[in-house]
Amino acid sequence: MLLELQGIRKRFAGVTALAEGSLGVRAGEVHLLLGENGAGKSTLMKIAAGMLERDGGRMLWQGREVFLKRPWEAAVMGVAMVHQESLLAPHLSVAENLFLGREPRQLLGWVNRRHMRESASRLIEEHRFPLQADWRVGRLTPAGKQLVEICRAILHGSSLLIFDEPTSSLSGAESEEVFRIVRALRSRGVAVIYITHRLEELRSIGDRVTILRDGRTVHSGPLGELSTGQIIHHMVGREVSAVYQRKPLERGKELLRVEDLGRKPLLSGIGFALHAGEIVGLAGLVGAGRTELCRALFGVDRIDSGRIYVDGKQVQIHSPRKAVELGLALVSEDRQRTGLAMRLPVSSNITLANLQAVSRGGVIRPAAEDEAAGVLSTKLRIRAASPRQPAGRLSGGNQQKVVIARWLFRDARIFFFDEPTRGIDVASKAEVFELMDELARSGAAILMVSSEIPELLQVADRILVMRQGRLTGELPPTAGPEEVLRLAALETGSQS
Amino acid sequence: MIQRLLPFLSLAVLFVALALASPHFLTSTNLSSVARQTAVINIMGLGMTIIIVANGIDLSVGSILAMSGLLGTMAMEQGLPVPVGIGVGVLTGLFWGSFNGFLVTRLGIAPFIVTLGSLGIIRGLTLIISNGLPVHKIPASFSFLGEGNLLGVPFVLWLLMACAVLMHFVLEHTRLGRYAFAIGSNQEAAIYAGIPVAFHTTAVYAIGGMLTGLAGMIEASRLMTGQPTAGQGYELQAIAAVVIGGGSLHGGEGSVVGTLIGAFIMGLLSNGSDLLGVSPYLQQAIIGAVIILAVAVDELRKRRLA
Repeated sequence: MLLELQGIRKRFAGVTALAEGSLGVRAGEVHLLLGENGAGKSTLMKIAAGMLERDGGRMLWQGREVFLKRPWEAAVMGVAMVHQESLLAPHLSVAENLFLGREPRQLLGWVNRRHMRESASRLIEEHRFPLQADWRVGRLTPAGKQLVEICRAILHGSSLLIFDEPTSSLSGAESEEVFRIVRALRSRGVAVIYITHRLEELRSIGDRVTILRDGRTVHSGPLGELSTGQIIHHMVGREVSAVYQRKPLERGKELLRVEDLGRKPLLSGIGFALHAGEIVGLAGLVGAGRTELCRALFGVDRIDSGRIYVDGKQVQIHSPRKAVELGLALVSEDRQRTGLAMRLPVSSNITLANLQAVSRGGVIRPAAEDEAAGVLSTKLRIRAASPRQPAGRLSGGNQQKVVIARWLFRDARIFFFDEPTRGIDVASKAEVFELMDELARSGAAILMVSSEIPELLQVADRILVMRQGRLTGELPPTAGPEEVLRLAALETGSQS
Repeated sequence: MIQRLLPFLSLAVLFVALALASPHFLTSTNLSSVARQTAVINIMGLGMTIIIVANGIDLSVGSILAMSGLLGTMAMEQGLPVPVGIGVGVLTGLFWGSFNGFLVTRLGIAPFIVTLGSLGIIRGLTLIISNGLPVHKIPASFSFLGEGNLLGVPFVLWLLMACAVLMHFVLEHTRLGRYAFAIGSNQEAAIYAGIPVAFHTTAVYAIGGMLTGLAGMIEASRLMTGQPTAGQGYELQAIAAVVIGGGSLHGGEGSVVGTLIGAFIMGLLSNGSDLLGVSPYLQQAIIGAVIILAVAVDELRKRRLA
């Protein structure tokens, strides 16, 4: 065993995050770590990576017990972690981030920038990442940042790499790239611990598996022996259907129509319509302009050309405020940055977009607000200790539900869901899909952006595919993943 | 819980300790003098609270205080009635607060820099208007604002309590207050939620400016002078009061009660040092240390909760 964790315990402010976390990983294997959000996966791995100290239990590295107090102690030992939430310096370049804390130095501590940039470029090219060494990290999409993190871990040549959901924000092709890298690492004798929520990708990468539930290791063993059903059973402790399949509805009247929309430098000639009762998928690779399209439609970014119609009337959406007034809602891909006021209570986050409804003459009526928040929390099964709990304390899935609750409370009718299942567990995912379905049934129109093509095929009534800022086609849900991927990824000769 | 009460407990302990240490402390003369001395910083601190909650900062309040006091007393010097003069001072504060808010929201410049600039602009204009000379010809009745008593209690204390109750109500029970917290906690998310962020941010600075204008009139009344050099360094005391009281310079946190406690802790420390004959030089150092200590304790509490 390279690393062995035995009965690790960890509590935060009186709440048990880990009761009995155990895991053993050998050199040259890919060890999957599975569990629902809040099961304690990230906590266990942060302890392994020296970011948290354990309260109890044993941690053995090559058979010897170790006590890590700082991340760099883990790094020196040979453990590197690729984080779910980016821990990069946004103002520095890709190359500078790759070498952060380990800059190649010359005499007198000068940093050798040229050498740094060249090695970074070599690494990026070798692994064919869509990055440039001198790009500023702050400008990258979440996916791009994730790639930088992976690059950094590879660069530092550790003997154990921990991947915390590396593909949750990546498109199919990029995920394949990550798998390729992971396999290459394994064949070089590196141990990999791989946390994921994507059950469909397990088989293509894992050797052995450890499953956590409620802070305890409930199963550990070879992956081959387990069926997907058994894995889900271990994760949630009850039977859940792994595959959600939506029953399509009859489409209602047109709520949103976009014609010839363009925004330099990426978006151009985009036209489509959304009808009441339908969920339209929007597929594409990272960088295809899906998030940019949502932002432009929601008034975050100004459009350069094109017309937008809501309920058949042409409208100018020059700010999110205007968009909200028109009944639009954006559930953004980055909850931390654009979704929630993390330090404010759940209840305030729910009523934020429609405080008018619970206030009179500018004064908030606490009873009305509590009631509204309570009703929606119950309806959406938001698991919070109380409505007064800060939103930042909730798990990813529950945070997502708070954002959705906000728009329900606002009576929005046109929804843009940008990667709604990113970083949330299987059970919450199904709940989010059910919510979307319910919304559609109550007459809303939904545009759903997702990098997970199977997910789109399950949920959407039809799928729009984007590539390089343009719509390249529309497919029925009966289409195969390959067809979607072809439209999303293939170069066409006529393209400028 | 005990840590949440810590600022209040420190204030109580300080109060009892001073009462024991000096026979002159627990006299009505001394206590009302503390109330009068701290009222100015307290009222500025209330305005600073909502600004800091909204993740802003206003470094120009010392200069605003001076110009408000100056223009208010000049109005009285011209023969306008006292209440009108006070109104002029308050409106002057409102104007400069809105000016700061406008620059912050429309130009997108960091509030630290905008208000650092306006600190200089407003002070300079104040000195130009007054030619550097204080205004002295003020009706005697004006002294009531800063020095008068109502029902045996300093009038400024009533005024402070009224402002505090109002500000507490605004912060905790109105849309404006909620938006201030939301903007301070995550401005981007507030924009995405369709909140008119620019408008409310400007409003927050305007309110802060208005309270500073009122504080300027109190200061002028206490000195019976429109002093163009008044209020230098007050911005830091106002910020310190907010921060000692649990406000965060990252925004989204702060409370009226906390700020009041913060301002009174500083007021008592300085009053106690005077009574006990501690050198005024050391006083500054003590207050500085208290600021750091208060914030350190608060950070520790938050980290334990995180």
